[in-house]
Amino acid sequence: MTLLWVALVFVVLILLSMPIVFSLGLAGLFGLWHGGYPMQQLSSALVSGSQSWVLLAIPAFVFAGGLMERCGMSHALVEFARALVGWVRGGLGMSVIVVAYFFSDICGSKMAEVSALGSSLMPPLTTAGYKKEDSASLIAAGTAMGMLVPPAIFMIVISQVTNTSAVALFVAGFIPAAVIMLCLMCLVYWRARRLGWPVDARPSLSRLGQAGMKAAIPLVVPVVILSGFVMGIITATEAGAVVAGYALVVSRLVYRNVSWTEMARIAYDSAILTAAVVFMLAVASIFQYLMGVSGAPKVLAEMLQPLQSHQELFLFGTALISMLFGMILEGLPAAVVLIPVVFPIAEQMGINPIHFNIVQTAAVGIGLFLPPMGVGLLMALKFGNLTVAQHFRTYVPYLAALMFGLSLIIVFPDIALTLPRSVGLVR
Amino acid sequence: MMKWLHRVAQASVTLLIVVAIANLLVGVFLRYFVGAITDYLDLDPVPYVWVEEVGEMALAWLTLLGAAIGVRQRSHFTLHVWVHTWSAGAQRAMEIAHHLLIAGFGVAVAWYGWRLSRLNFDLTSPGLQINMMWLYASSVVGGVLLTIYALSMVISPSAEQTEGH
Repeated sequence: MTLLWVALVFVVLILLSMPIVFSLGLAGLFGLWHGGYPMQQLSSALVSGSQSWVLLAIPAFVFAGGLMERCGMSHALVEFARALVGWVRGGLGMSVIVVAYFFSDICGSKMAEVSALGSSLMPPLTTAGYKKEDSASLIAAGTAMGMLVPPAIFMIVISQVTNTSAVALFVAGFIPAAVIMLCLMCLVYWRARRLGWPVDARPSLSRLGQAGMKAAIPLVVPVVILSGFVMGIITATEAGAVVAGYALVVSRLVYRNVSWTEMARIAYDSAILTAAVVFMLAVASIFQYLMGVSGAPKVLAEMLQPLQSHQELFLFGTALISMLFGMILEGLPAAVVLIPVVFPIAEQMGINPIHFNIVQTAAVGIGLFLPPMGVGLLMALKFGNLTVAQHFRTYVPYLAALMFGLSLIIVFPDIALTLPRSVGLVR
Repeated sequence: MMKWLHRVAQASVTLLIVVAIANLLVGVFLRYFVGAITDYLDLDPVPYVWVEEVGEMALAWLTLLGAAIGVRQRSHFTLHVWVHTWSAGAQRAMEIAHHLLIAGFGVAVAWYGWRLSRLNFDLTSPGLQINMMWLYASSVVGGVLLTIYALSMVISPSAEQTEGH
């Protein structure tokens, strides 16, 4: 009964535009009081929820991403991707997708990524004659796919709430992201042929080499992360530290275009972003406490009993809910409110935890870019001065490609599990 | 007074994130380089358990202080479904109500945090032997700061800022 009241308070506060984290907090506080639970839980949950070794990866990756972006590494990646695939029909469009894949690697935050890609790719796309509806769709769909490319804040959070290995989830993300990337590339190729999208001049070898050299600096990051994980020598948090240290060194020694004052500013912004993310998790742990003491997961598991033998159906169902959560509430609340409820059920059904987490990560990623109100999509549309309605028709095929990719990941668990399994991170 | 407090809070979270990241780097250095050297020379290993304690404590403080600053910066994600269609006066009234509630939440966090700190007064951390009170004090300071920032938004709201997740 208490839980129902808590849910009601939560929903009412959210609808009245109370910041989500405080809606959660106040509802949790109300729940502790209403259920007669020890009120100390409030502060205890906040401290123990934020005092976490795994979550320390977040400030490290966010700071590193902010610094590398400020150095101008996204431009280097854009140039390289253009040299690489720009000469194919629709190549510039494809390069957006390729850049999104690699850029997600150095950029921890989705919104930062959309704005970086939007500002550096919108102008060349427009000059090359792409319609702005298509440009915005490319950026939105590419960034949605990038959700699966580690290191992602969301992955760290979801591995924390489900108590699974962040490293395994990181390693598992590469191939599913590549699968969705492939779906998007096919779509781009098809549209390019149909709509006669332009072709860049074939780059000379020296230009390719030069662009490659410049892009090598940011591309060291995924290589280091992946090889460190595969060899099993570093944890996700340590990888964050290494990447942050690397960003610091290259920004001081190679790029030399970020002053100490700017760096302090980046550190401050990263701190505020980190605080917002970790605070959300910590506040939600009050909810998890209430859920635990009231035995809600058990009731839910019984309700969903009939689905027991239909793992795929269950995954499709939960992915759909995650997507809607991602669209309405932005990614993190989905992870902290929804996932703790459905994860135990998935485990009971025998779904591999890493597969489950990958599916939910992909779903939330798509949700962020789902019309009519995904925050990521709205941001991408800002760069093209478009409204959701103007954009929607063009966006449909892109959404279809994303959904198709997600379906593949759901139906074939091996897409997610092969890589971590081959290095012994998953049984 | 508020300006001064805001500066101190901003400087503190900046310092905390720097400490957190530097501490991680020291940890990696101790574990992989110093660890390899002491192994090779067959010396006693240099302890690095404290790295974890420093990192976790820095993150707890960073989170609770940063979340409070976030109220003033409007960095906490908000859903706009209905309220933004209201008249300006009604919107302002709603905003005042929100921030009064947040202030109340801050008071609760600080109060129960205070009781928790006192409960943990005689515990020390295993690595650094720090009194555990210092860890829980983060919720006291965070709660107080949350209240102050929320009340400051009631008195003189800051301009709208887009959130950056």
